[in-house]
Amino acid sequence: MSAVALGAVQLVAIVALSPLLNGLIRSVKARFQQRKGPPLLQNYYDLAKWMGRGEQLADSTSFVHYVAPVGVLAAALAASLLVPMLSDRTPMTSGGDLLVFVGLLALARALLALGGMDSGGSFGQMGSSREVAISSLVEPVLLVALATLAIEPGTTRMGEIVVAADADPADFLGVGWALAAAAFAVALVAETGRIPVDNPDTHLELTMVHEGMLIEYSGRSLGMLHLAQMVKQALLVVVLANLFLPFGLAHDHSAGGYALGALIVLPKLAIIGVGLAVVESSFAKMRLFQLPDLLGAAAALALLGAAITVLYA
Amino acid sequence: MDDPWVSQALRLALLILVAAPLTALVPIARRLKLLFWLVAAASLLALAASISVVINGDAPQFSLWSPAPYADLQVRLDATGAFFAAIVAGVALAASVFGSAYAHHSQVDDAVYPLFVLSMLLVVAAGNVYSFLVAWEAMALASFILVIGDGTPQPRRLAALLYLVMTHASSVFVFAAFFIIADHAGSASFEAMAADPLSGSTASLAFVFAILGFGTKAGLMPLHVWLPRAHPVAPSHVSALMSAAMVKVGIYGLVRVSFEMLAPGESWWAFLLIALGALSAVMGVLYALMEQEIKRILAFSTVENVGIIAIALGVALAFRSHGEDSLAAAALAAGLLHAANHGWFKTLLFLGSGSIQAATHTLNLDRLGGLARRMPVTGAALLVGSLAIAALPPFNGFAGEWLLMRSLVDLASSDVGAAASLAGLGALAALALTGGLAVACFVRLYGIAFLGVARSEAAERAGESAKAMYLTLALLALGCLVTGLAAPWMVRSLGGVTTELLGANGINSGGDDVLVLDSGGSISPLVIAGVLVLLAPLPWLLARLIWGANQRRRGAVWTTGVAFRPSMQYTAASFTKPVRLFFSRLLLPERTIAVTYHGASPLPRLVSYTGRVPALFDERLYEPARSAAVWLAGRIRLLQAGSAQLYLLYMMAALVLLVLVATR
Repeated sequence: MSAVALGAVQLVAIVALSPLLNGLIRSVKARFQQRKGPPLLQNYYDLAKWMGRGEQLADSTSFVHYVAPVGVLAAALAASLLVPMLSDRTPMTSGGDLLVFVGLLALARALLALGGMDSGGSFGQMGSSREVAISSLVEPVLLVALATLAIEPGTTRMGEIVVAADADPADFLGVGWALAAAAFAVALVAETGRIPVDNPDTHLELTMVHEGMLIEYSGRSLGMLHLAQMVKQALLVVVLANLFLPFGLAHDHSAGGYALGALIVLPKLAIIGVGLAVVESSFAKMRLFQLPDLLGAAAALALLGAAITVLYA
Repeated sequence: MDDPWVSQALRLALLILVAAPLTALVPIARRLKLLFWLVAAASLLALAASISVVINGDAPQFSLWSPAPYADLQVRLDATGAFFAAIVAGVALAASVFGSAYAHHSQVDDAVYPLFVLSMLLVVAAGNVYSFLVAWEAMALASFILVIGDGTPQPRRLAALLYLVMTHASSVFVFAAFFIIADHAGSASFEAMAADPLSGSTASLAFVFAILGFGTKAGLMPLHVWLPRAHPVAPSHVSALMSAAMVKVGIYGLVRVSFEMLAPGESWWAFLLIALGALSAVMGVLYALMEQEIKRILAFSTVENVGIIAIALGVALAFRSHGEDSLAAAALAAGLLHAANHGWFKTLLFLGSGSIQAATHTLNLDRLGGLARRMPVTGAALLVGSLAIAALPPFNGFAGEWLLMRSLVDLASSDVGAAASLAGLGALAALALTGGLAVACFVRLYGIAFLGVARSEAAERAGESAKAMYLTLALLALGCLVTGLAAPWMVRSLGGVTTELLGANGINSGGDDVLVLDSGGSISPLVIAGVLVLLAPLPWLLARLIWGANQRRRGAVWTTGVAFRPSMQYTAASFTKPVRLFFSRLLLPERTIAVTYHGASPLPRLVSYTGRVPALFDERLYEPARSAAVWLAGRIRLLQAGSAQLYLLYMMAALVLLVLVATR
């Protein structure tokens, strides 16, 4: 399959399936809370509703209001082309690596935070203020955890990491790997704005982070921002599933191979999704100012994992 | 091999800069324009010449003036010098074009400005120790005069004096480092010093002196304290020159000495530089987040970026001391690339602050807001600058940091020793933290100044700046994008410099659009940007196709139902409150709340709150040092009793001592 075709497949897959993954997490959470919860497909209905609606803008918005949703979604989608989803190949092989992946996520975050500040309303600015503070702590965790995987194979390209891990799983699955995976899982929770870092269901002004930044958005822009957030969440889950548990990915690059890969990868994603829902249901949201303890511990884990990988590799 | 036009262009550029102060003879009305366009023309010539040298590699060499055999003002622009000369000339070009519309007339500044540019060019083009030191001191004096201006208000005078003291203290170390090396080489010519690099324990001494001397000029922590005071008080075009060009001259000295004149040294050299770099990067950006004046934010961000460059140089030293010259070259290229990129976006941001200053007469974030709508070109250009300096793809800041992070991963996975690998991991974490905080810093700067609603009448009335100013900003913003996309080409052009310094390239050739490292790893900013540009409109087009055109209405900002007032917005201080608390163990913020009660009433009459983030290095390091120096001076003064007999006794004692020492 050519790089362009693979890219198209990955884009369609991530856009089509990320609302489902998000819906799955929501449904499982609802079960834990003894509720029926919204239908599994509710996210699709919501997206369709937002996309079809007109927009209400604040008087004070500038061009940044339009740039932000478009840029955030484009950055998230571009990042999806760097991740091996079904096979050990990525569409943008020489275009970038896991460092670019982290960079594109940071771009999405910066544009979103700017969008949140655009109207001048204090809730958007509050969300941005918290988002950038939290993500400054998440960034080292994310990067060091991912870099740990790159130390052994000596490459930062995600596809090559998968190949190297598959070739020698015993060497790959060490203590360093376990610590890095744990740190990455914490970064995933923080990066996607889930409990205990942020509560995606809250609209209580004083606790909002991600929802705060979206407060002046409506209609199509809001739909795009929600879609971008779901894409980002799905991407990080895919990275956890395929890079930290790099098994079952297709090595033969035919349509059949990809189908087989999908058959193994999709259940992995579902299992991780259920796991996230369990975590969310078993913890309370932390106070904002306790977050450095959690993320600092995650950073320490990531560094320890990387150090062990360096020393005992 | 000397290409005749290159050295002619260089001579002409230097001549124009020497002659530019003569514009004082021109009537005042036309003086400023003429002066700045002359400097711009000279910078353009120097830029063309130095880019040609970097790419083609034939170094022009000529003597400017040789009044005595030991005092030979010699110009020798090799690829390393030319690379830094290109940064200086490029920044000077932009600053001069901007300055032609921005600067105000001032007798002294007009004469000194071209000499400042000239001295910086001469430092990086110096061919021997003598020329270097003369130009180095001229640069220090010229920048001091530009910083002190007319000496008002008082903080400006104090900042300038602090700068003067620190720059001269650092000069002592620069002199000492060069004298040690020249003594070993038996010649003061850079070529001879490079041919016979110094090694052993004296080399370590020279290296430490070089860090102390050049690190002060570059603003490496903890030698940075003058920088965030001195850079902001000068006019914006001069701030841009100091922050984007002059600190690079300090980096140049460090590169020249540690890679060319010293043999591969001990591994602790690398650790020292990486540690200082990481400290500068993290603390620099944290202090930048605590400031609320735009130019002070930018000055602290310069400290941060110098830290990033220092990490890269440290990594290169670590590889070099283990003979991994190819990997060292890649790390060095990362540092140089970041130095060039910082030249672009820091110039853009400092000149942009000039544009804000001209429009609103204030740089205090809490008096700005909503400028993106009132100054569309400045607003768009500074958005690009903010994204670039926050190291976000596809702009140029990201390219340099990508290469550096890639080098750090290489350091971690290579077999140059466990300590070096762990240092690489630590630096990687510090760099990622710096990147996250830089995003916070520039989202804050842009979000408070340019987005939201005006917080003062001055910001309310702001309008777009003069044409020469906003066009400069627009071109610099374009440069931030283009140099980001052309990063692979730029890194390959740096091959001449790294070959000159390390004899290795480190970068594979993979065409001009993709950067491939020898160690395996690649990036193609062009592909990333292309994908972003293709993907950005796609959702819009699809949505339009399926659901039809978007309807837009305008209304008030939602503020829980009460009427919106601009003072409801976040301020510069409230925006950083989470960061301030997250990093309170590093920043040690202080707050005092004083409550005054009214007699026996339990109701407070007056509650006053003050909070501040202390400048730890100033208060804990420099203040005790200053007190100690003053105390010591007071003790030494006892020697000066004012009696002639006593002084004769001192002389006698000194003579006896000398005779004793000499005859031993």
